[in-house]
Amino acid sequence: MNTRRNFLKTALLGVGAGSMWPRDLFANAPAALAGAGKVPTRFVFIHKGNGLMPHTLVPPSFSKDLMDKEKNKQAYSVDLDGHSLPDFMAPLAGHHKNLTILQGLSGKMCTTGHHTWCSSLGAYKANEQISSIKWATVDFELAKLYPSPFEHIELACFPSGGGNSRGNIEGIEKGFSARGPQQPNYAFGSPKVAMQELFKSVSNDKAAQLMYEMDRKVLELVSGRERVISEMLDGIEHQKALNYTDSVDSILVRNRKIEEMSDIIRQHIPKLPDAYINSDTLSTLDRQDGLNEIMISTLISGMTNVATFTVDELGTPYTGLPKLETEQVNLHEIGHNKGYGGLDAPAIRDTVCHQHMNLVNKLVSRLKATPEINGEGNMFDNTVVMYFPDNGETHHSVGTEWPFVVLAGDNTPLKIGRRYIRLPKHGVEGHKTLGNWYTTLLNAYGNPIDHFGAMDVELDKFGIHQKGPIEQFLA
Amino acid sequence: MHNGHAENTMNPFLKIIAGLWGLVLIAGIALIFWMKYGEDSGSVLELFVSAETDPEVAVDAQHLISNYCIDCHGPDKQKGKVRFDQLNTLSSEDYVELLSDAKESVYYGEMPPEDEPQPTDEEREQLLAWLSSHLDDSADNKLADKMRYPHYGNLVDHDLLFNGEIKDEAYTPARRWLVSPQIFQERVMDVFELEGRDRDSIKQRGFYGVVNPFVMPSQSGVRDYDTGELGGGHLLVMMNNAKWIAGKQIYATKLGIPNGPKVEPENPKDNWYPRDYEPQAFIDILSQSGKPTEEQLIAAIHTQFGLTLKRKATDQELEVYLDLMRSVGEIGDNEAVLTKMCTAVLLKSEFLYRIEFGGGESDEYGRTMLSPREAAFSISYALGDQGPDEELFKAAEEGRLQTKADYRREVERLLADENYYRGQVDPILNGSSAKSVVTSHPRIVRFFRDFFGYPNASNIFKDPERAEGRFVNPRRGTTGTPGAVINEADMIVTWHIEHDQNVFENLLGSDKYFVYDLMPAEKGYATVDEWREVWEKLKDTPWETESKKVYDEYARYLASKKSISLRDNRRRKPENDMRLYMRFFADHFGKGITPMPIVPWQHGYQKHHSIVYGLPPTPSSARYYDWKKVSEEDRDRDFWDYALEQPFSIPNRKGILSHPAWLIAHSHNFQTDPIKRGRWIHEKLLAGRVPDTPITVDAQVPEDPHRTFRDRVVEVTSAPDCRKCHIHMNPVGLPFEMFDDFGRSRSEEQLEHPDNLIKTGDGELTFNTYSTLPIDPSGALSGTGDPALDGDVKDAIDLIDRLAKSDHVRQSIIRHAFRFYMGRNEMLSDSQTLIDADRAYVASGGSFKAVIVSLLTSDSFMYRKDLKD
Repeated sequence: MNTRRNFLKTALLGVGAGSMWPRDLFANAPAALAGAGKVPTRFVFIHKGNGLMPHTLVPPSFSKDLMDKEKNKQAYSVDLDGHSLPDFMAPLAGHHKNLTILQGLSGKMCTTGHHTWCSSLGAYKANEQISSIKWATVDFELAKLYPSPFEHIELACFPSGGGNSRGNIEGIEKGFSARGPQQPNYAFGSPKVAMQELFKSVSNDKAAQLMYEMDRKVLELVSGRERVISEMLDGIEHQKALNYTDSVDSILVRNRKIEEMSDIIRQHIPKLPDAYINSDTLSTLDRQDGLNEIMISTLISGMTNVATFTVDELGTPYTGLPKLETEQVNLHEIGHNKGYGGLDAPAIRDTVCHQHMNLVNKLVSRLKATPEINGEGNMFDNTVVMYFPDNGETHHSVGTEWPFVVLAGDNTPLKIGRRYIRLPKHGVEGHKTLGNWYTTLLNAYGNPIDHFGAMDVELDKFGIHQKGPIEQFLA
Repeated sequence: MHNGHAENTMNPFLKIIAGLWGLVLIAGIALIFWMKYGEDSGSVLELFVSAETDPEVAVDAQHLISNYCIDCHGPDKQKGKVRFDQLNTLSSEDYVELLSDAKESVYYGEMPPEDEPQPTDEEREQLLAWLSSHLDDSADNKLADKMRYPHYGNLVDHDLLFNGEIKDEAYTPARRWLVSPQIFQERVMDVFELEGRDRDSIKQRGFYGVVNPFVMPSQSGVRDYDTGELGGGHLLVMMNNAKWIAGKQIYATKLGIPNGPKVEPENPKDNWYPRDYEPQAFIDILSQSGKPTEEQLIAAIHTQFGLTLKRKATDQELEVYLDLMRSVGEIGDNEAVLTKMCTAVLLKSEFLYRIEFGGGESDEYGRTMLSPREAAFSISYALGDQGPDEELFKAAEEGRLQTKADYRREVERLLADENYYRGQVDPILNGSSAKSVVTSHPRIVRFFRDFFGYPNASNIFKDPERAEGRFVNPRRGTTGTPGAVINEADMIVTWHIEHDQNVFENLLGSDKYFVYDLMPAEKGYATVDEWREVWEKLKDTPWETESKKVYDEYARYLASKKSISLRDNRRRKPENDMRLYMRFFADHFGKGITPMPIVPWQHGYQKHHSIVYGLPPTPSSARYYDWKKVSEEDRDRDFWDYALEQPFSIPNRKGILSHPAWLIAHSHNFQTDPIKRGRWIHEKLLAGRVPDTPITVDAQVPEDPHRTFRDRVVEVTSAPDCRKCHIHMNPVGLPFEMFDDFGRSRSEEQLEHPDNLIKTGDGELTFNTYSTLPIDPSGALSGTGDPALDGDVKDAIDLIDRLAKSDHVRQSIIRHAFRFYMGRNEMLSDSQTLIDADRAYVASGGSFKAVIVSLLTSDSFMYRKDLKD
């Protein structure tokens, strides 16, 4: 029998996009909002399309010995102190002490190749069918541990073509995260729609205010009618009806709480250039920057503690890249080594990734500049940011590698800081998968799950143990 | 003691008030325990008597625990980390939890274990009474609640259900039953008044903006129970759904307004809308600039109630929805007024529930019959996913749904209707190389899909190299080999259902299968006959070495053959295609076998999985394109002698339990799963129950590259604690070791480990070969209640033969059919319903439709009883 408490548990997972914001519920609102409580940890997942080539992440200052190890994919770990970062990572230079470059994870339990849908966050083979969503993705699992009003926010520079089109890249569409089995999450595709939906409770726009008010009236009617039904029933049926009524009520309560947060939300409301709001003039880089700004605001204001940001996907058309301002770059063609505007494909890959690093730098810097809600340290101290590919090691990936760039604040329990880590390669004893990495994150932050993610049948074949966390990261 | 349904057995858990005798008896009990267990026992005793315990009950309980429990859960042993000799060390919460778990175990007959001395029924009742006295109502409620869930269905005593002793009047508790994912989709289509091809199209691809809020659990067995309830997750999904649906209703209506303003979709990429959607009441409001009249608002409310809930709004509902519309009208325009009302109706829980409370006067047993309207929906949703057809609605309106004869008339009529519910069994299977089976009553097939659980094959991923690269995992655009074999299992299930004779026996024991089933036999014969003629005519020409010359000579002849398609374009020369055909023919006609009636180089060809049936392979296109690269050895390869007439017999295979879909569904990614297979047979066919694996058990099969999987499973499950459950599973699961985890027949098990590698393959054309050990497919059957059937079995085929002959097995399937059509577990009071359904099956020569008619005209289906707290 579900109870109101169970509803709170399930509803807390339910933060997706939608114009009538259903989301939690403030049972464990952030301290800044609820007045007291523990400081949350924030998680940001930033993933990109077209693969992330492992060799591009190797510090150029590595010795020949290290380079040989790297070439042979031998396991090793090196302190990043004293090493220079690859050029495209230059924006992260100031965050050196929080940085980890994690190499050697595999993701063969995922769909690989061009598109991977919920695979990279769910660690299972997913496709465009909702039925392929096996369980909640790791970001939603982490969101359970650190409840917040919106619980989880997803933003995406949607693909408009290339076999994985979302149709309307300006709107709210199925994203790359999942709330639960067969439950896709929804992501905001443009700064405009994200602003409208996330900040409508504090909107100065009259029409938005009216819509918000009308939606409230609808929910109040539904709540009232369902309560009448519940009162007419007995036993189990009474409880069933009450559960639905409570669900509706909880959303009303949640909305009221958000209204109570209006001061703090207003304080952090993003101030975006007009060009970011007008889809006719919005370049891909502007879109990324606008969505990044919105994400930063929602984290700082406490609207959410977990955000997932698809900075691009293989089918995302790129406009506005430095030195290629007049070009519309097709990532698929980059994957097939086509150059644009006099730049070859690797150089364009670097440019794209450099832009991503700018976004990460902005996010980290802003969190570092914001005092933590309990006044101890800054917000980044309690934040983990991950940048990784949605499909593994290259354009036509097979999942043998899944590089991660991790930036974790000082209070992280993960023992990975300031390191370049190459794990044993696929098929070798001690090899670790995407599932092990996500299990590590979950275990480190309080979810004792034995293993998150599907099994890799190739590793399974020879009985190579592949469950559990990466112990050395938790030591 | 029997494991009856909750209502019959909950009452004995009465609270008993302790008397003054308590203090005297406490001392006595303390003495007994102190003598047996020394110092530790004193702490037990005070806990044996609570404020609500009859002292006599306490003494009895003390003896019983001493006799039946303490040896394993006391100072010497603490199996499952449970002990009853240190209750005083527990927190009050842990204490209640322990006694609650103990009560459940005793109630379900799980404790004491089968191989330990058993208490009498009377002693068991005494122990339960004592446990109850220490627990509040919540524990009883918890137990009663559990009995509603699928996993606990078999706790109801099978013999009591079928021996006729129980004469209680049957009923189903008054309820709201969540709609299935399929019914939900139909209801949304009803909102848009979709018909014909528009409806079919949506069934195939779904709505762009609607996410089905319901997910069926994935385990095998009946899954659509009335235990589900709307919660926060559903609401969140429905809020987005309702917004999209209401938006499309309004958009489509605006498009239909004569001379209305030009309208654009909110999302230009999502431009679907229901055609010819013209609810007049909506048009009236949207086509005027002034405020709508009350009559117009009322008409709109009734319209939305009709589209969404198939009824008019009540007066009370009218009042509140009018209030909403007026209130929205104060701040919004007419479109907002209508949109918000439509949204609010879509968010009513009634849209997502099936309502079955009964109507009218209660009979002498406290039951009320379904109201005619409820009955119409219940009947229709039992037979399909759509709501009632016109005739059924009419019968309800005219008072012709009030007797068993009325129900029978309508059920038989709808079962005979070939079209109303016609549709695909599972549109998810549609892909580039397969289309789901179309049948008149897909929901009947769905029962057997649930029951057997073979659709779970799609959740299993295999390493294709282990099956010569011929296994395709599900991926984008295809459900792969699992989808193909699931579809083929659907075909044979549908075939037996449509023939409707000895359905259970055939599903278990028939050796007929569909494999590929590319086209109707007639068409297949015509194609193959024409090909054979071409082969005979050209086989002695130099078609391989001088193909151009041969083609030129026979071009006109070849062009006259419709089954031969020779491409002639920039890339392909006809003589090259002719050569492909001849190579293909040589592989088949040249060896006296029949080819598939399609060629492997046909676009979208994905027929590679015949091997999972133990059949020879079918060729790939690469073989003919790269003929020169094919080794001499491979050129002589034998392919499958294709069966043009399907279904056809496959030797050494019987029914669904040896169908690759079932075998894959009940396997691991890399290994077979004899335990899962055995558990399925024990629970689904033998009406038995196996408790969930205790969390204290590390259920890992040990690695050992030099032993068979069977050996290792037997070893790890032979420990006494494991054996008590595995004795029910292993003997009926291990015989299936005659099939590997892909479903292929085998007599030897390849020991797939680097230590045993004999030959390394390249993973594309050649594959690893490992040393083998012979498999042992023997096992034993028990629990059919028929001495002629119980006993040792030599393999899975022997086992299946016996199961198919068992009355007990037949009755077990009837129980599951009951659950499917009633949406709940059977209770003892359903005994007559089950007996009648079983008789109907036997008397009709094994007609499943007869079972359906019997169930849908039973008291269990027709009557509801309001159960209070």
